[in-house]
Order: sequence, then structure tokens, then C-alpha cells
Amino acid sequence: MTDSKAFAGMMVAQPAERGKVRRLLSRLGPGNPAAFPWVLMAPTLIVLFAFGIYPFLNALYIAGQNIILSRPHAPRFFVGLYQYQSVIQDPEFWHALGVTVWFTVQAVFLEFWLGLGLALLFRRITVGAGILRTFILIPMILPPLVAALIWRYMFYPGGGLVTYYAGWITRALGFGEIPFLSDPTVAFHTLVFVDVWEWTPFMFLMMTAGLAQLPRQPYEAAEIDGASAWRIFWTITLPLLKPAILIAVVIRTMDAFRTYELIVVMTRGGPGNATTTLNVYLTKVGLEFFDASKAAAISLIMMMIIIVMSLIFIRAMRMRSQSAA
Amino acid sequence: MGGRISIGLTAALIMTVSAPAIVHAQTEAQKALAGTEIRFLQPAMPQFAAIGRFIPEFEQKYGIKVTVDEIPFDQYRQRSLVEMQQRTGAYDIYAVDVMWLAEYATAGFLEPLMQYVKNGDLTDPGYDIDDFLPRAISGTGVWDDVLYTIPLGAGPVGVTLRRDVAEEAGVALPPRFDPSFTTDFMYETAKKVHNPEAGMMGFAQMPGRWFWGITYLPYLYAFQTPETVGNEYVDKDWKITINNERTIDSIEYFVSFRDFMPADSANWGIDEATAMYQAGRAFGLWNYQDFIKGFFEDPEAHPEIVGKNAHLHTPAGPHGMIDPWYGAWSFGLSVDSSNKEAAWTFIQWMTSKEIQERATEFGAGPSRHSTYKSETLAKHQPWWVDVYDFMLKTTNPDERIRVPEWAEISDIMGEEGNRVWIGEIDAATAAANMERRMTEVMRRAGYYIPGRTDLPPQHWRDMSYYDRLPSEWK
Repeated sequence: MTDSKAFAGMMVAQPAERGKVRRLLSRLGPGNPAAFPWVLMAPTLIVLFAFGIYPFLNALYIAGQNIILSRPHAPRFFVGLYQYQSVIQDPEFWHALGVTVWFTVQAVFLEFWLGLGLALLFRRITVGAGILRTFILIPMILPPLVAALIWRYMFYPGGGLVTYYAGWITRALGFGEIPFLSDPTVAFHTLVFVDVWEWTPFMFLMMTAGLAQLPRQPYEAAEIDGASAWRIFWTITLPLLKPAILIAVVIRTMDAFRTYELIVVMTRGGPGNATTTLNVYLTKVGLEFFDASKAAAISLIMMMIIIVMSLIFIRAMRMRSQSAA
Repeated sequence: MGGRISIGLTAALIMTVSAPAIVHAQTEAQKALAGTEIRFLQPAMPQFAAIGRFIPEFEQKYGIKVTVDEIPFDQYRQRSLVEMQQRTGAYDIYAVDVMWLAEYATAGFLEPLMQYVKNGDLTDPGYDIDDFLPRAISGTGVWDDVLYTIPLGAGPVGVTLRRDVAEEAGVALPPRFDPSFTTDFMYETAKKVHNPEAGMMGFAQMPGRWFWGITYLPYLYAFQTPETVGNEYVDKDWKITINNERTIDSIEYFVSFRDFMPADSANWGIDEATAMYQAGRAFGLWNYQDFIKGFFEDPEAHPEIVGKNAHLHTPAGPHGMIDPWYGAWSFGLSVDSSNKEAAWTFIQWMTSKEIQERATEFGAGPSRHSTYKSETLAKHQPWWVDVYDFMLKTTNPDERIRVPEWAEISDIMGEEGNRVWIGEIDAATAAANMERRMTEVMRRAGYYIPGRTDLPPQHWRDMSYYDRLPSEWK
């Protein structure tokens, strides 16, 4: 009896509920052009806030404090811009910035030209191109940590595949062993080499996609005019590829700037501090010394550097396009 | 009369047979813990492998399930601190290195243990905390007079040398702690046996940046004079004192071993150097007492070198000084654990007299008087017997200034030292850089705030502090 009464009550309440839903839909649904786009964007905005804006605001807050995670009972207070000042006055930061920029410039430069060269080469290959392309892409598919471990053991002092055969050759030539990971300059370039090995396929992929989109007409016109392949490349291919180049180089620059696994696994920032990039320095401050505030300041400075670098690059590309036009 | 005697004898016999059962009988509080699960975070180290063999026995006895997460040694501090500071109680027990106790304890991450030691419902009556070596307990587990951890094994650092290789070269190695084993002797012997063509390097150092805080320090101490001992890093006012001739000489001595190592060795750490020694390609290697069984004297793992080694203390320096420090891992109970009683039951069982002694058969080190004196230890790890006296009278557990800033101090030392190894700077510049950067670390930590009265005491200047009976700590 009681159940049937409750059921009857629900039946009575249902039209009222339906009315509420209808009113809500009319306020937020397609009928309201001011609100509806926000409703559609809401999931994206929530994700963006949760994973982008909130962490950023939180990092700003932490960088304004004196939080050391391994000293939870130490008094915390607002320190203004002290953490930024502390980072900027730290010679380690400037050294790490220099290493990072130099690493990024070398790696991205080589990756771009090798990737573009391979993409151009593959336009001419007709037999087995698919299989070859798959092989070329393998390094990029590997997780960075796995790639770093593979190379760490390839360069393992004395017993690694590379060190063994390189040592064998250099000894036969009357030289000593090559200190792949022990000499500051050689270690730095070893890391650049591994990064190039891993990420050239990405450039190759982007350039291949870019080349596939190029129109045929300018090439046909150039061929009729008798332009050399070199001239066609510089005056047609490269300018037309600029959008693809821009995207690929900006993505790789941001990525190379943040390289971490490769360096930590292969050299841990050494020898000395020769391969200590900003990310390695940041991790040391944040996760070895647990100085969360200084680490937050470093990460915000890094973010600013990446934004400024990207803007400069995009602007430079646009200016070139405009002057070419 | 005869009947009484036979009854007495029978009772005595029953008591004798059942004594171990009485000692290990579970209390009601321990029985109530059956079904609990505890989690233990530990580094990948031979001594943990040794005690790991006993976990199934513990689980069967107490009905408490133990989950062990093991991670590489060089990532352990980072991982443990990340877990601790999240305050989730993800791990009930942490392995604590002697060097990190100050950091963990001042942060409030560890539970004081004396309340559990003295709790008869949770701790076996035969546990006997005073059976631990006083300096092993005070150095490993005590911070600010409070007991936070119980040691697993505690022993000095040293060097392991190939006795057979030395003999072939006509060099007789002295016994452990013999004053004739000096820094000069070690270098000259390494030079004599160094033969890269035959695949034998004079010594395998660990010059990697991360390892200087472990492997260079014996030489920093060796080059002190009796007057400078205690002031290696700081003076009584916490002013950094590392920029001096002794530091420069010790760095130059450490770096001189570069002559015996491959060109590509600047990043070598414990893995690379130990692998070289184990493969029979190096004459000498830094060691830590707890590693000897697992790294050098395990017949199954390293048949090429077993029985051919001399395990000595690190060499004495020009003024006869030796490194008085010892290393140890211990069990710490997380303050955020929701299974503290079960976790303590595990700790007290693993550090009990019986398990400590039995674990020595598999490579674990002793930290109790009874274990040091046991026949099991003498039979399976005779090299420990030599260090008992040292651990009682000579060792100074605070010689590496146990302060929360140690991780940064050690990192600075490693980076500057490693730069000398690769020829980027000289030892004098490194010592000056160390002093400047360490001073900045101390300044940031507030050590130089005028009038500050809560700075940690410098116990290493008064050894009587370490010799208190373990039960006297809070």
C-alpha cells in the first residue's frame, strides 16, 4: 500500500520534473545562442582549467612562497619575487639555460635537415618505400626512456656495442678510446646524436606530409623554364613548405627544450654539469632538494622562454613569407 | 626424592624445548593483526635481498601480508620523499639510510619508535633493545634524542682489494686497521698491479657526480689532522670550512686514480665500478661492509673472485687519520601509516636477535652485540668480526654532518669534484666553489640568522652522546 502511494507520488511529480528539465534546456540549449556555445565548450574548458590554468595559477602561487616539501613544518609565507631573483642569480641556472639552448639548436637543426632530406629522397624511391618508411619511424615509436636505455647500454664504457667497436677502431688507428659520456664536449654531442636519431623520423613524417600537399603547377612551370633542381628546391619547395616547417620546428623546439629522460638516463647531467639542461636542473631542485617554490619559479621562467622563442620563430617565418611574397 | 628430581628434570626439559616457542609466542594484540596488509619501500641492495628471504616466514607466523616495492638505490631518496610528503600512508615502512634520517625526522615523516619498543603487547619480551650497539642505534636511528628507526646492519666503509693480484706483484696486503695501509700504499700498489693490456686496472673508483658524497669522503677524512677533525665541513658556528689544503689534497688524491681507469669512466658509479671488479678486471674497489657477501664473496654469483679478496678499512692519510664513519640502513615506520602496529610487528621481528643472526647467513649485516658474537656470523661472514671493536669504540656516525641540508651539500661536492675529474677545473677551484655554494645552502636554510637558538647540536664533538644505552632514548 505504502509502495503504491509512493509510486503514485512519483507519477505526480514527474511532469513537474520534466518542466524543470525543459526550462533548463531552453536556457542552455540551442534556443539560447548566448549560452549554448559555452555549454558545448564546457567539457573542454573544464579540462583546460583542471590541467592547464589551475596548475599554472598554482605554480604562480607556489613560486611566491617559500615551500620546501621536505620541511612541511617550516613556516610558509609570501616572499614576492624572491624565488625568481634567486633563480636569476644562480649561476647554475644560466649554465643550464646555455646548455639547453645549444642542445635545442643543434638537435632541431640537424633533425630538420635530415628529416627534409629523407622526405625528398623518399619521393624518388618507388620500390620498398613502405617498408623503409616503417623502419625509419621505429625510433620515434619507442618511448624516450626505452630509447635512452638502449643507447646507454650501447655507449656503456668498455662493453657497449658502440664503445667496443669504436674503441677497437680507434685503438687500431693508434688513438685511445673515445670518451663518449665522460668528456664534456663529446658527451654533449653524444646526447645530440641520440636525440637526432630518435626525432629525425618525426621531421621526416611532417615533411613527407607537407611535400604531399604541394601543388604540381609551380614545378611544371619551373621545369618548362629549365630551372635546376637546386633552384626549384630553394625557390619553390622550401617556401611552399613553410607552414609544415613552422609547425614541425616549433613542436620539436619545445620538445627538445624539455628533453629529460635521455639526459637523466645517459649522463644524469654530467660529467660535471656539462649536460645539465634546464629540465635536469629543475628536477634536481624540485625532486632532490624538494624546494618546490624555487622549482615552480624555474618552471615558469622556462615556460616564458619557450613562449618567447616560439613567438620569435613564428614572427620570423611570417616576415620571410611576406618578404618572399 | 628421586621422584622430585625426575619431575624437576622433566620440567626443565619441557622449559628448554619450549623456550623458543615461549619467546616467539604471539600476544593477543599480535594475533589480532592477522589479515592486515603492510607495504614496505626498499632500495635494491644485497642486505634487503637477504632479509627478503624471511618475509614468507613472517607472513605465515603472523598472518600479516607484506608487499615490498623495490627501486634502484640512486632513485630511492627521491621516491621515498615524494611518497612521504604526499602524506597518503601509501607505505607503512620505509628503508632509511643513515644520511637521510635528519631530513625525514625533522619533516615529521617518521613515527617515534620507543613507545612500540616498550609495548609488551606488540614487542617480544626477548627483543632487548640494549642488545643493539649503542652507536648503531644512536647514529642510525636517533634524531633530537628520539628513536625513529631500527638498524638492519651497520658497518664501516672500506676497500676491497684482490689479494692474489697483490701477491703476484710481490705486495703483501696488511690486515684490516693496520696503520701501514695508507693512502700512499694504496696508490703505489694500484700503480704496481695496473696492467691494462692484461685487462687489470689498478683501481675502480666511482667518480660519477652522484657518488662523491659516498666514495670520496673516506679520503677527505684521511687527509685531516688530529686538530682539524670535526671541522671538515663546518666550524662550531656552522660556517663552511671546506676550502682548505686538506680538501684540495684529498681531491687530488682521489682524482689521481684516473690514471688507472678507462677514458670513459667519469660517470662511473657503483654499478659500473663493481661490475669491473666482479669481472676480475680491477684490483681494488670501494666497499661498504654490508655489500661484501653479496658483491664479492658469493660463490654462486661471483666464482671468479670469491676467496681472493682482502677487505680492508679505507686507508689512513698522511697524519694517520682514517674515516670513522659507518653506513647503515634501517627500518622507519611512516607517521601516516594506518597499520602502525602491524608494521612495528614486522620491524621488531626482522630486527630480532633470531632473524638478525639467521639473515647473516645470506649476507645481511649485524647491528646487535649478540649477532656480532654469533657463530653464524663468524662462519658465513668472518670479515664482520674484525669491525666489532671499531663499531664500539671508534666509529663516529655523525661525521658526515647529519643535517637536513646534506643532500644539497653532497650534490655540490659531487658536481665540483667531478669537474676536477674531467679536467674542467682544478682542485683548488673546486674547494673554493664548494665553500661558496655550500655557504649559500646554509644561508638559505637560515643557519646564519643572528640570534637563532634552535640550530641542531653538533654531537660529533662529544662522542659520549652516542654511547648512551639504546633504551635511554625517547
